[in-house]
Amino acid sequence: MKINISTTLNDQTLEASVYPNQTLLEFLRDDLSLKGSVEGCGVGVCGSCTVLVDGRPVSSCLMLASDAAGKRITTIEGLARNGDLDPVQEAFLKHQAFQCGYCTPGMIMAVKGLLLNNPHPTETQARDYLSGNLCRCGTYVEVLAAVKELAGR
Amino acid sequence: MALVGSDVTMVGGLAKVTGAVNYAPDLQFPRMLYAKALRSPYAHAKVLRIDAATAEKLPGVIAVVTRDDLDGLNPYFGPVVDDQPVVATDRVRHVGEVVALVAGESREIAEEAVGLIEVDYEKLPAVFDILEAIKTDAPVLHAQRKETTAGVHREEFNFQVGGNVCSVYHVEDGDVKQGFQEADEIIENTYTLPPVQHGHIEPHAATAYWEPSGKLVLHTATQNPSGVQEQLAQIFKLPENQVRVIVPLVGGGYGGKTHARLEPALALLARKARRPVQWVLTRDEVFLTGRRYGAVVKIKTGFKRDGRILGRQVEAFYEIGAYALNGPVNAKTGCYVSSGPYNIPNRSLTTYSVYTNLPPTGPFRGVGVSHVCWAYESEMDDIARRLNVDPVELRLKHLVRERDIFVTGEELTSVGVTDCLRRTAEAIGWKGKEEQAEPPKKKNLLRGKGLAVAIKSTTTPTTSSASVRLNADGSAVLLTSSVEIGQGLLTSMAQIVGEELGLPFERVTVSSPDTDLTPYDKSTSSSRTTFHMGQAAQQAARDIKNQLFDVAAKKLEARIEDLELRDGTVFVRGVPDKKISIAEIFRTRFGSTVGSMFGGYCFKTTGGLDPKTGKGKAAAFWFFSACGAEVEVDIETGKVRVLKTVAAVDAGHAIHPKQCGLQNEGSLLSGMGSALFEEMVYDNGQPINSNFLEYMLPSMEDHPEEFQSILVEIPHPDGPFGAKGVGEAALPPVAPAIGNAIANALGGVRIRDLPIKPDKLIAALLVEKEKR
Repeated sequence: MKINISTTLNDQTLEASVYPNQTLLEFLRDDLSLKGSVEGCGVGVCGSCTVLVDGRPVSSCLMLASDAAGKRITTIEGLARNGDLDPVQEAFLKHQAFQCGYCTPGMIMAVKGLLLNNPHPTETQARDYLSGNLCRCGTYVEVLAAVKELAGR
Repeated sequence: MALVGSDVTMVGGLAKVTGAVNYAPDLQFPRMLYAKALRSPYAHAKVLRIDAATAEKLPGVIAVVTRDDLDGLNPYFGPVVDDQPVVATDRVRHVGEVVALVAGESREIAEEAVGLIEVDYEKLPAVFDILEAIKTDAPVLHAQRKETTAGVHREEFNFQVGGNVCSVYHVEDGDVKQGFQEADEIIENTYTLPPVQHGHIEPHAATAYWEPSGKLVLHTATQNPSGVQEQLAQIFKLPENQVRVIVPLVGGGYGGKTHARLEPALALLARKARRPVQWVLTRDEVFLTGRRYGAVVKIKTGFKRDGRILGRQVEAFYEIGAYALNGPVNAKTGCYVSSGPYNIPNRSLTTYSVYTNLPPTGPFRGVGVSHVCWAYESEMDDIARRLNVDPVELRLKHLVRERDIFVTGEELTSVGVTDCLRRTAEAIGWKGKEEQAEPPKKKNLLRGKGLAVAIKSTTTPTTSSASVRLNADGSAVLLTSSVEIGQGLLTSMAQIVGEELGLPFERVTVSSPDTDLTPYDKSTSSSRTTFHMGQAAQQAARDIKNQLFDVAAKKLEARIEDLELRDGTVFVRGVPDKKISIAEIFRTRFGSTVGSMFGGYCFKTTGGLDPKTGKGKAAAFWFFSACGAEVEVDIETGKVRVLKTVAAVDAGHAIHPKQCGLQNEGSLLSGMGSALFEEMVYDNGQPINSNFLEYMLPSMEDHPEEFQSILVEIPHPDGPFGAKGVGEAALPPVAPAIGNAIANALGGVRIRDLPIKPDKLIAALLVEKEKR
């Protein structure tokens, strides 16, 4: 039995039918082919599947798709507008804050969430906020440099 | 050199920051099915009966493969020993071994079908501890193991038959007994390291399908397309051109994706299902699929009171799990560097790779070297403390230098280790002997600094081939089977080709691997790509340049030696108006400004060791590195905070300094995790922390407040523009540098078993208190 939901995805209203046990990540990837949010751990620890729900970062592997009803969801695919990159994306490019890039969309969404909630974070606040986004390649220094630049604006 | 050595914008960045990259788990094909594995619950058992009839009847299940589907194939494979079954045959040897694989219309259907497969096992005695496994009465994993079909490997690695010791490697210098006799003091200790995870955030993932003609196509997240192609061709008895391996951008590897893992069973399943099948592992399955070897390292050193080290003996046991994979390579690679980058007149170095009933291992950033480095660099500090000398001075006195003869008998070239150590010591604020002073009393937060160095070989001899295609408009493509796994080869290889052909960076692109199109490469491992593929790419570009010059020389009536190529035009040096564009050269040669010009090169390094003596040439180039760490230890709680770290590597010549720095940062982070908290834990062979909740990777909060990367550049005569690899170099010295910093904070209290968790520190401090 599917559940009908109405949600706002990347600024577009979306009517959809989802399974009651389907996660938001599965809905995005399997039903909508939005592959930018990826699964790393499946238990809400690595942050690779981070999306914004009403402006707050959420691990989409832990949220049911049906709970997206009535909410505003933003994924990495919805961050750039009319071809213009979001300042967070620009800052990641400028500071080369990625290597393999697998954790990058989640990391960018988490940084976006941080800045929406605290536009001028200190480095300590940023480290604390972003500690739920794991990068094994080792680009934390560059991500923090990107955040520092964005926080100074 | 405008391109090489500059931090050009990393290729592929825009796709990465917009989520547009299609990684292996993102791929979709028409009528694609999903695979799910039935895995062994036992560490060691006979497989008596498998019945998949009920599972096969479940609606939506298209195929199930078991040992009954192996007829007519070579059912065993492996990079150096053919001991891994495509799916379990008569026995399972570790928890999580694949017994059956199901293809279903959805992941849920496949998973449900897995639960319907009936298997009867007869449990066998199992062995998990490495020192237990080498005993004569231990249960034997591979008593009847067939020798590998690759006979050359057997000779190369000294394989053993009969017990659980898979291979032994030995090399010696001088007479270690005499060295110990002449020594004033001898210290002897045992160091251990647990298995750890590679931690690539992208799990293993692949999609397979068979074309109607009988050709196998694989899209897989591998570091080794040529190796996967070879293995699949061998299993399915196909010529290599009937196995096409395509590799998308890979979401991290660190060694974990170097060998065929999912591909053999998946190809078998896709053949039976006659449709594309995708297999993406869950995180707990990744824990059952690959890891770094655990190890026990016994080290003994004899030295004079004046500070001369006279003898060193090392015996290292690498626990390689249930199948060999590259365990024997690891034992060999660890062996000859196990006394460190030092000149020691008498030494005896022996390493073993040992089977146990734990899940399989595989290459891991710093292969084999991190284990022995943990031992020898901890020992160097202990010796310095015993002698009351500065550990940096003790090291400098013994470090290998340019043209020194190493224990393998070869002359060392491009030796930056002294510079790495000196610059690291300076950057960490090293004050000399006083860093070993007694800690202040009545303080709970104690600080200390520590240093360590490392030497590592790159796998030798190996081959890398490259092909460059030049278009008439002066744009070029490098065809290479090297894999972009985050290290940035799409950028650095374009720099090399652009530099050689005098083309702007934007005019050169680098392909992703597709074995139908891209030529052979040994693998993207052993930090070999910059050196080997870089050389192949440069020479392939030079091949084209020579073709251009041939035409230009005739047309311009000039000598080839006087020509130069820049900005898409061939000029005669010193005569500015004598020039010809690439398009004009195409017109001259082909009568048209369309067409392609091809350049190719096959770069092979020479060398190799005599396995009986361990002598010869171990490495086409050597890595040298140093790490410095400053820590704060809370002696009430045992908690260690890493305040500052420095990672230095000898890059030869940095093609892209920023990317080299990122490699150092990654090595540092991984090394820090395994130094302080990463550890895979098993209960009778059953992993009990196989997820990222219970197995922690270093997060941004763990990252030191200060991190500095240093690139020493001692050009290598055989590297492209003098460059060497840097990917792994910085990792091995991280754990001993942190261990030494902790020991220095605590007045010499030494933990010898990684990771250095709070409980171990508290216990060691209590023992120390009782002693005093």
